[in-house]
Amino acid sequence: MNVTAPLIEVEKLEAWYGRRRILNGVDFAVNPGEIRVIMGGSGSGKSTLLRHLLGLHKPRSGTVRLLGVDIARASERQMLDVRRQIGVSFQGGALLTSLSVGDNVALPLREHTNLDEATIRIMSRLKLEVVNLGGFQDLMPAQLSGGMIKRTALARAIAMDPKLLFFDEPSAGLDPVVSAELDELILRLRDALRMTIVVVTHELESAFKIADTITVLDQGDILMTGTVDAVRHSDNERIQDLLNRRPREIQVDADAYLKRLTEEAA
Amino acid sequence: MPRALHDMNALIRPLESLGRATIGSLAGMGYAAVLLGESLYFSVAGWRIGQPLRPRAVAEQMRQIGVDALPIVVLLALTIGIMLGIQFIAALSAFGAQSQVVVAVAKSVTREFGALITAILVAGRSGSALAARIGSMSVSQEVDALATMGIEPVRYLAAPALLAMLVMLPALTIFADAVAIGGAALYSSPALNITPSAYVMQTLSLLEPGDVWQGIAKSAVFAVLITLIGVSTGFSVAGGAEGVGRATTRAVVLSICWIIVVDMIFSYFLNR
Amino acid sequence: MSDSENACISEDLGGYVLVRVCGEVDLSWSQQVRDAILAALGNGGVGVELALVTYIDSSGIAALVEGFQTARGKGKRFGVIAASRAVLAVLQLARLDKVFPMFADVDAARAA
Ligand SMILES: Nc1ncnc2c1ncn2[C@@H]1O[C@H](COP(=O)(O)OP(=O)(O)OP(=O)(O)O)[C@@H](O)[C@H]1O
Ligand SMILES: [Mg+2]
Repeated sequence: MNVTAPLIEVEKLEAWYGRRRILNGVDFAVNPGEIRVIMGGSGSGKSTLLRHLLGLHKPRSGTVRLLGVDIARASERQMLDVRRQIGVSFQGGALLTSLSVGDNVALPLREHTNLDEATIRIMSRLKLEVVNLGGFQDLMPAQLSGGMIKRTALARAIAMDPKLLFFDEPSAGLDPVVSAELDELILRLRDALRMTIVVVTHELESAFKIADTITVLDQGDILMTGTVDAVRHSDNERIQDLLNRRPREIQVDADAYLKRLTEEAA
Repeated sequence: MPRALHDMNALIRPLESLGRATIGSLAGMGYAAVLLGESLYFSVAGWRIGQPLRPRAVAEQMRQIGVDALPIVVLLALTIGIMLGIQFIAALSAFGAQSQVVVAVAKSVTREFGALITAILVAGRSGSALAARIGSMSVSQEVDALATMGIEPVRYLAAPALLAMLVMLPALTIFADAVAIGGAALYSSPALNITPSAYVMQTLSLLEPGDVWQGIAKSAVFAVLITLIGVSTGFSVAGGAEGVGRATTRAVVLSICWIIVVDMIFSYFLNR
Repeated sequence: MSDSENACISEDLGGYVLVRVCGEVDLSWSQQVRDAILAALGNGGVGVELALVTYIDSSGIAALVEGFQTARGKGKRFGVIAASRAVLAVLQLARLDKVFPMFADVDAARAA
């Protein structure tokens, strides 16, 4: 693979839930070493896009290529190879509740490598040190605070030193200090471990701090993809609404409105 | 809305929901069949594609499904044995056929009750536990997390349970057979004027291997049913904690219904 | 990025062994580095020279940690010598630069 080829390439991706179209033919590419932030209002389809990038849903149409592999056409072996090189930190953490913090972080190593137990122990505890959770390996997920869950999830996501890291809502629900620390950590992970990182976030401040490039999603369309400055100075009205936290103007169509309120099967 | 159309609707609605339920249950069966295929595939060939079945996971499931169920299996099997003793002595002595009690108990326990009681018990204990565990894991995105880590959820969660169930349910069934016959011996031997050990010896001489095999074969089928229903309802949970609760109930009720129906079908064909 | 750059050479310098590591240390061969370090610890102190390492992942760092821990258990000396920028960044990420004895070059290590 060419060194400069994009790690993620999405072409004309359409996503549907039942009869509702959520993504309207999205094009998207992320280059190696880049930190890409996906921004957008609530319900704009960020999580849906992320789930398609992770191969958790098959696209209705369009293609998703991760590390050069078309994930709709990949064999199980190829898919496994791709998945060993990506790490994902879910919004709610998604830690396995039956395993301790240490075992959660060690899980990918135990499943995918033949390293001996001593090395796995060191590697997983090292990752806990990186996220400032050194010494917490024996706690169970139920005993963690929200911020600790998020950091444990990050430690597990980077357990295998992935090329590509996905991070859903790193700072949602965290205090400002912890979320600033996480932002700092994301930057250092990219620099030290050469990760390419895709972050989904609502937080403008954190987005501007960590992003190299930002993709703005609105109601299933990509409004723009560009550098932090380009997005800040964009003259697109919806983007400015998002940046300045302006409530959107909702057009009212009297007929449709009445129909919604009164009809049996709307 | 015109009156006639309204009436039509009243007629069509139930049909519609019946149709939807039929399609839903067919889809459910199809999904269960896929799960069965995948679980078996990962058990046999998973290691070749980097998805090996972990003996430790299987052992853990075997402990939860089998060993932990022993006390309650003993209790129920003993009770059933005594109950059968009571009924057969009462019923057969009316015809002066008391001597037939031993063979009646032996055959009904090994062919029918041992497997049935054990399966219903395990469905209540472990089928529901599987549905609850996998269901809450789906809701909290743990299943998604496993998939993105390159750990096939079916291999990690379903295959160990299936193997453990296939080993432990027949084992528990044999155990339940023995305990139930022991219970019947304790109750009926005084009434029959023989010692309990003579009762057991008589049972052993009357039983044919086919009787025991019939129960074991059924229990293997029940094992597949319980696991697939538990696992597939668990994986298809939607709608938060309430959904998990509903899935758990559904798994138990569905398993028990299927167990009883399949048992009847088996009995019919095996005893023609 | 070819594998031919990756190498791990042990030199016995009388009293201590210098393990020179080059290239990209990752999962595919970090066990070799670990074995080399642990083997070298049989013959006295160990210095691990990392000047030509362009990338190191956490399995490589784990090899260093295990080496250091083993050396301490045996009462041997252990040092990380001339860590490249790439290595330093990773060590700093886990704050290990404050744990390992770090030396600027082989002479400094020998002097200490
Ligand atoms: N499982 C689902 N079934 C049906 N519709 C869904 C499902 N998940 C999401 N949707 C719909 O898809 C749309 C996009 O949702 P998505 O979760 O991608 O938004 P989002 O950008 O992540 O929003 P937020 O910032 O609030 O998390 C929403 O309108 C939502 O109703
Ligand atoms: Mg979302």
